[in-house]
Amino acid sequence: MPINRVTQSMLTDRSLTRLQGSLSRLADIQEHLSTGRVLNRASDNPGDAATAMRLRASLGEQQQYARNAEDGQGWLASLDSTLGSANDMVRRARELGQQAVNGAMSQQSRDALAAEVDQLRSALVANANTTYVGRPVFGGTTAGSAAFTESAGVVTFTGDTNPVNRSVADGVVVDVSVAGPTAYGADGDNVFDHLAALSTALRSGDTTGVQTGVTALTSDSDRLVVARAEVGARTNRVDLAVTRAGDLETSLTNALAEIENADLPKTMVDLKMQEVAYQASLAATARVLQPSLVDFLR
Amino acid sequence: MAGTFGSINATASALRYHQAVMEVASGNIANVSTDGYARRRVVGQAVGAPAQPAMWSRFDGHGDGVRVGSVDRLVDPLLDSRARREHGTQSFLDTRAAALARVESSLGEPAGEGVSSALAGVRRAWQDLANNPDSAATRAQVVATSRTLVDAVAGQRRNIEAEEGDQRASLLADVGETNTLAHDLAAANEAITAARLAGNDTSSLLDARDQMALRLAELTGGTAVENGQGGLDVTVGGVALVTGGKAGTLAVSSGINPDGTSDGQPLALAVTPPGGTATAVSGLRGEVGGSVDLLGTTLPGLRAGLQAVAQQVADSVNAAHQAGFDQAGAAGQPFFAVDPSDPNGPLVLLVTDPASVAASAIGGGPNRDGSNGTAIAAALAGPTSGYQQFVTGLGNDVASVRRLAATQQNLTDQVDGAREQLSGVNIDEEMVTMMQSQRAYEAAARVMTTLDSVLDTLINRTGLVR
Repeated sequence: MPINRVTQSMLTDRSLTRLQGSLSRLADIQEHLSTGRVLNRASDNPGDAATAMRLRASLGEQQQYARNAEDGQGWLASLDSTLGSANDMVRRARELGQQAVNGAMSQQSRDALAAEVDQLRSALVANANTTYVGRPVFGGTTAGSAAFTESAGVVTFTGDTNPVNRSVADGVVVDVSVAGPTAYGADGDNVFDHLAALSTALRSGDTTGVQTGVTALTSDSDRLVVARAEVGARTNRVDLAVTRAGDLETSLTNALAEIENADLPKTMVDLKMQEVAYQASLAATARVLQPSLVDFLR
Repeated sequence: MAGTFGSINATASALRYHQAVMEVASGNIANVSTDGYARRRVVGQAVGAPAQPAMWSRFDGHGDGVRVGSVDRLVDPLLDSRARREHGTQSFLDTRAAALARVESSLGEPAGEGVSSALAGVRRAWQDLANNPDSAATRAQVVATSRTLVDAVAGQRRNIEAEEGDQRASLLADVGETNTLAHDLAAANEAITAARLAGNDTSSLLDARDQMALRLAELTGGTAVENGQGGLDVTVGGVALVTGGKAGTLAVSSGINPDGTSDGQPLALAVTPPGGTATAVSGLRGEVGGSVDLLGTTLPGLRAGLQAVAQQVADSVNAAHQAGFDQAGAAGQPFFAVDPSDPNGPLVLLVTDPASVAASAIGGGPNRDGSNGTAIAAALAGPTSGYQQFVTGLGNDVASVRRLAATQQNLTDQVDGAREQLSGVNIDEEMVTMMQSQRAYEAAARVMTTLDSVLDTLINRTGLVR
């Protein structure tokens, strides 16, 4: 549309509008700089805002997965060392039995062996009741404080065999517990019974009984090794999950920064350019508003 | 033939005419920055033969001078009516854009400061509970973060309600202003008719009339038509608000109490035309239309959206929570309720005792299972994305109305520019007119001197013999 007339207030209005426009662009860039973000409200870019919110939610999830996995690592580490020392004790008891079978031995020596076996047995009971943050690690989800209870010389499993699950990644759940019977044998046929039987056989000089006890302890030891291997495998999974969650967290943080954060060098250049533009429009306004024919008519 | 003093009369008319031109030019210059002032132009008319000669009469005069034919006000009624329409739409969109932007910035999203961070906190607490179901601290944490979520949702609702309150107040103020303006416009219409009959200059009254009609359009989107007597008749929502010298009233017929609170009814407006009965009006534009739209549709929609999110939270958490068992092994109770009438709602926390938090998926007695915590954390994924949709939807609305307002601004500026081109005062132009008139005035004075000397010769020198 051709402009036929230009009036004084058109000049002032337009100059003001343009100054305002320039100033508001300057304010936008300043907001980006001072907040460090280009996405300050959903309407700045609804699509990116949706992505940013989703990314932030996933970020929170990954952080939680890492926390869960780290908690699982604690459980598994405590299981691993407990099973390790349990196996050492069982192996030692087996050696003692072997000694009694192999050499001609006085009853006194056998009694001494029996005493050591008894010691090992009570240490093993304590070992089987190892706790992690106040929970018996072999007790499943039991509300009680012990996985195994001894009464009248008989040790029975008082925990439950429910899994203790940790979500370590999206849809990945790892049981970080080992049920007591899996590691120590079923009630009535557990390692504690075998140790008690071995001790009794040693005291009574029952060589066949000692032989049976040694055999039983061999399979007990095997069971403990298998349980420990299983714990090792799960530890690997959980360790992997921790690493993966960390990696995902980094990449999600990057993606979020990509969307939300202001590109500093670019913003600085934009700011400088907008400053120049603003100064130019100020200068232009100052020039355009002054002269009129009045200045030249004398 | 002209008489002896005919030329003197003609010259005197020139002096009078150019004085008038300079007067009008100085008036224009004086009003160079006056809002709503339309420049005037003196239209000169050569005084000469009658336009319609009488039968058998003869007119042999010529050069009988000049007179002020009229003082024109340079306006275009078509442009004026376009300006009113565009201004009405502009203020409608601006009102909506400003209100929605306020609600949006109060959300604190997507920076993760509002409800989304509270939701994330709740999910974290449930997961931590799953890891440590026997810890009283993590149980208490679940209750505490849930309360934070309830507060965050309530805070959002309060923000929307505060905006509704502000819009109600501004609607009442706008309706009041509309009625005052309608009354004033009717008075101006009457004054114009009277001034026209008396033959007085109506320019300033017309300026005022146009200003009022424009403001009425900005308020209500009302349309104005010239009524043939110099006045403007204004119609709001299809019902006459101003007819000639009489004004009707615009009123809120239901939805808002006089003190600005909501009366619970749907919002309705009515116009009572002069001497008529109240007629319901809808589809208004302008600030009133913007407020009505916000109060009737947009803000209740947002409130419902937020309530839907609360409902989703309650449904998901309750279903999962009731499938679990609390510390004593008893079945889980409903965790949240949704109560739109609760002042701290719509989301209400029902479980406040940490021991009643159902972390376990195994019933029958106390245990240390925490898998129901995991299940509840997973169940919160739905509401989380529901809330994200709510925020994105609002963001889209704000962006869209802002875009519309910006586009409309171009149109409004263009129409305003066209009006200004026609009606605005240019100082250079006025200076030129002034100089022209000054010179013409000088020349007329010189003619007077010449005539004087001619007559002097005739009267004082004729017949004298030296």
